[in-house]
Amino acid sequence: MSSSQGWQVDLLEVAQKCVYCGYCSLCPTFKELKWENYHPRGILDQIKLYYSERIKDNLKNDVSKSLFDAIFACTMCKACENICIVDLPLLKVWEQVRQESFKRGRWNSKLLSLYNKVKSSHNIYGLPAEERVTWAALSNMVMTRRIQRKAPLAYFIGCQASYSGKMEGVAESVVKILRKSKENFTILGTEEWCCGSPIFLAGGYSVGKSFAKHNLEQFKKLGVKRVVTACAGCYRAFKVVYPRILGEKWDIEVLHITELVNELLAEGKIQLKKKFKEKVTFKDPCELVRHCGLIEAPRDVIKQIPGIRYEELPSNREDALCCGGGGLLKLNDDNLVSQVNSRLITDIQYSEADIVLNGCPTCLDTIRSNLRKQNLNVEAIDISEFIKRAMELK
Amino acid sequence: MALKKKARSRFIRYLGKQFRDDSTILQLYSRDMAELPSLTKILYKNIPDAVILPRNTEDIQKIYQIANENNVSITPRSGGTAGFGGAITYKKGIVVDCKGIESELYIDPLEQTVTASPSIIFSDLQRQLKQQGFSLCAFPSSYYSATIGGWIAHGGFGVGSSQYGGALDQIVNLEVVLPNGELKIYDKSEDLALFVGSHGTLGILTKISLKIKFDIPLKQWGCTFDSPRELEDGLAELSKINPYSIWFFNPSHISKFNDTFGYSLPYRYVVIISKEISFEEEESEFYTMFNQAIRKAGGQILDKRYITNIWDHRFKTFSMLKEYDDFLVSELILPIKTSNKYLQKLNVKYKNGIHFEGELISDTHYSLLLFLPLDEKISSIKRTFLYLRLFKYTIKGIKFGGYPYSTGMFFAGYYSKIYGKEQYHKYKEFKKQVDSKNISNPGKVISPRLNLFPLISMKAAIKILSRLIP
Repeated sequence: MSSSQGWQVDLLEVAQKCVYCGYCSLCPTFKELKWENYHPRGILDQIKLYYSERIKDNLKNDVSKSLFDAIFACTMCKACENICIVDLPLLKVWEQVRQESFKRGRWNSKLLSLYNKVKSSHNIYGLPAEERVTWAALSNMVMTRRIQRKAPLAYFIGCQASYSGKMEGVAESVVKILRKSKENFTILGTEEWCCGSPIFLAGGYSVGKSFAKHNLEQFKKLGVKRVVTACAGCYRAFKVVYPRILGEKWDIEVLHITELVNELLAEGKIQLKKKFKEKVTFKDPCELVRHCGLIEAPRDVIKQIPGIRYEELPSNREDALCCGGGGLLKLNDDNLVSQVNSRLITDIQYSEADIVLNGCPTCLDTIRSNLRKQNLNVEAIDISEFIKRAMELK
Repeated sequence: MALKKKARSRFIRYLGKQFRDDSTILQLYSRDMAELPSLTKILYKNIPDAVILPRNTEDIQKIYQIANENNVSITPRSGGTAGFGGAITYKKGIVVDCKGIESELYIDPLEQTVTASPSIIFSDLQRQLKQQGFSLCAFPSSYYSATIGGWIAHGGFGVGSSQYGGALDQIVNLEVVLPNGELKIYDKSEDLALFVGSHGTLGILTKISLKIKFDIPLKQWGCTFDSPRELEDGLAELSKINPYSIWFFNPSHISKFNDTFGYSLPYRYVVIISKEISFEEEESEFYTMFNQAIRKAGGQILDKRYITNIWDHRFKTFSMLKEYDDFLVSELILPIKTSNKYLQKLNVKYKNGIHFEGELISDTHYSLLLFLPLDEKISSIKRTFLYLRLFKYTIKGIKFGGYPYSTGMFFAGYYSKIYGKEQYHKYKEFKKQVDSKNISNPGKVISPRLNLFPLISMKAAIKILSRLIP
C-alpha cells in the first residue's frame, strides 16, 4: 500500500499507531455530527477495516461508503493533526483517502464538476482565462504594464480574488499597497492558473502537479524570486504542497501579504496612518495558522495601526476555530458549514469586535454569510483591504 | 442475539436517523481506548446490535421505555476514552452515545457552580469557565477528550484531586434518567455516590452541576527520589503541605520522557508538584514548606529549568508511547503508606520494563497508571497473555491496601473493594429498585456469570486465568 512517491504515507501503518486518546474530538465537523465514524480516530479505525485482509465483502462495501462519506465531511483544518499526541500525519492520510475515493469513482457530482472545471479552464469557476483581469477594469485600474512583465516579485491573485464578486477589493487592495511601496512586481494575468489547492484538497495530485509545474514555469520565465498572495489557500499550496511535489525545483520565496507589509513598514516604504474607532479582531485562517504556522505577521501589522483597539478571539492562534468552509465541505454539505461556522460567530460576538479581519477568501465568505443570517452588525473584511484603508489609499 | 424486528422498528420509528445499525458503525462502537484482543471475544459480545445518538432527555426516557418493553440492554457511552470496557457491550444490545445530549451552559458566579451537559469535554468547559475567571476544581489527565459525564460514571479522579477531591466531591447535583424511565435530580451526597463509578448501570446522566473555583494561576516545583521507599516518604510529606497536584514517574518513564521531549531529567523517581499561587509571599512560604518536606524525606530538589514546560505535557501522557509499536495500560489506586513494596514488586516482576506515572488523589492515596510498552506488534494470543499478566499485577495491589481504579467490564466484581461493602449493598438495593430487568449496562460493576458455565462468575474466571500466567 505504500507509495513510491515520497510524500505519501502507509495508511494502515498510521492507523495502527493511533492510541485512541480521543484528543482529536476537537474536530469541528465531528463536534456537529457526533457519530464515531466522523471522529478522526473513527476514520482511522475505518481505514484499518478498509485495508483489512480478513474483512468480508459486504462489510468492505459498507466501510468504504462510510469512510468516503466521513472523509469529505472533513474541513482539512488540521486541528486533529496539531493536537495528536503521537504526531500522526493525519492531513496526508485524509488526502490519500480522498485520492482512494477518486480511484473508486466515489466523488460526488459537485466535486467532479469542480475538478473538471479546474482541469479544463484552470480556475475554480470554469470561466475563460481572459476574465482573470476583469477585476482591474471593474476597479478602474490599468494593469496592462504589470501583466507578464519581468520582475523579482509576483503577486499571485488566486481564483477567488480574480473572478468572484464576493472578493471584490482584495486584488485591488494588494495592488494599491504594492504600487504605493513602489515595489517592482508582476502579475501572471491570463497565464495564472489556479494554484491547485482545491485539486490537492480533493486528492487529485497528478492533475494538481501539472498546475504547480505551469505556475513555476511562469514565475521562472519572468525571473520571479518571491511570490506574494493574499489567499490562504494559495499560500498553503505554495508553501507546503509545491515543495512536496516539485522538490528543489520550487525555490521561490513565498510571502503572505501581511509578511510583505511588515517588511515594507520596517523599510519605511509604506505607513499606516488612519485611526479607527472600531474594535478589531482577527480570525486566523486554518491554512495560515495550522498548515503554515503563520501566526504573528497579521497581528504585527494590525498592532502598528495607531491607536487600534484590537481584541483576540477567545480561540486564537493555533487553537483558532475552523470557519467550516475549508476542505471543499461546501460542495458536500452546506448546512454543516453553517453549523460549524456558528461556533465561530459566537466567538466573534464574545470579542465584541466591530470588524473581523481575515486572510482567506473561504473563511470570509462563510463568516459573512453567517453574520448576515444572524443579522449581526459586524463587518468582515480581508486584511489586505483593511491595510489599504489604514494607509488611507483610495 | 440480534435485535428483534419489533424492537428495531420501534426504535427507528421514534429516533429516525439517530438510530444506526450498519456494520461499520457497530464495529466502531465495539471498543473504547483498549481494543479487546480477539481471543477475549469468546467472553464478551462487544459488537452491539445498534447505536443510538439521543438528542435530549426525552429521547433517553423513550429509549429506556422501549428497551424495558423489549428486554434490550443499553450501554451508555460518552467520550470512550477510558480503557476499562465500561462503554462496551458485554452481551450485545444497544450503545447509547451520549454525545448528542446538549444543554445550555450556566455559570453561577455567586454560588460558584457550573451546570452543563454530561457530554461536554473538560477542555471545552474549562475554556468557557476561564473566560469568566473561573476554573474547574479537578480534571482528568484525558482532559482534551474525556467528558464530565463519563468521568463521573467512571468514578474519576485527576489533576487537582489532591486538593479538591475526586468526582464525587465536585458534584452539586445530577439530573438522571433512571433505567425505569423516571427523570430525577439528586443532590444529597449519599445519592450522588451511587452514580459515581457505577458506569451508567443506574441510568444515564442528562445534566450535571459541578463546583467551580476562581482561576488561580498554578506554579510548579520538582524533586527526585532514589527509590520507591524514598518516594513513599516523599509523597507522605508532600501531601501534608496541601498541594494542588502531585504528579510523579518512575525512572523508566523518565528515560522515555527525556528521549521524546529532549529533556535531561535525572534517571530517578521524579515528582512534579503544583500549587495555586495568588501572591508572592504565598509562593515563598510554600517553597519553604516544600523544601522542608523534601529534606525530611531524603529527596533532592529538581533544578527549576527542568520544570519549565514540563507541565505542558501533563495531559499528553500517551505521547511518549509513539516510539513503541504497541502498549497495554492498567490503572489502580494505592495507599501512600504501603505502596513502596508494591512498586518494588512491580519493578522486579517486569525487570524495570514497566512505566508508571502517578497522581495524588487525596492526602493518603494516589492513582497509578501502568504502561507496558511493546517493541513489536504482537499476536492476539500473546496480547491476551500480557493483558492477563498486567491484570494479575493490578489486582495484586489489593494486598497492599489498593484497588482497581474503576470497575467497568474488566474489573466488574471489585466495586466493594473500591467503595466499601456498605456502599455496595446500597448500590445493589438501588439497582434492584430502578432496574429490575438489569438492562442498564449489564456486565459492569457486578460481575456477570459466564455464558457457557453459569456457575462461574467472570471475575473468578479472569482471576483464575491470570493466576495461571507466570
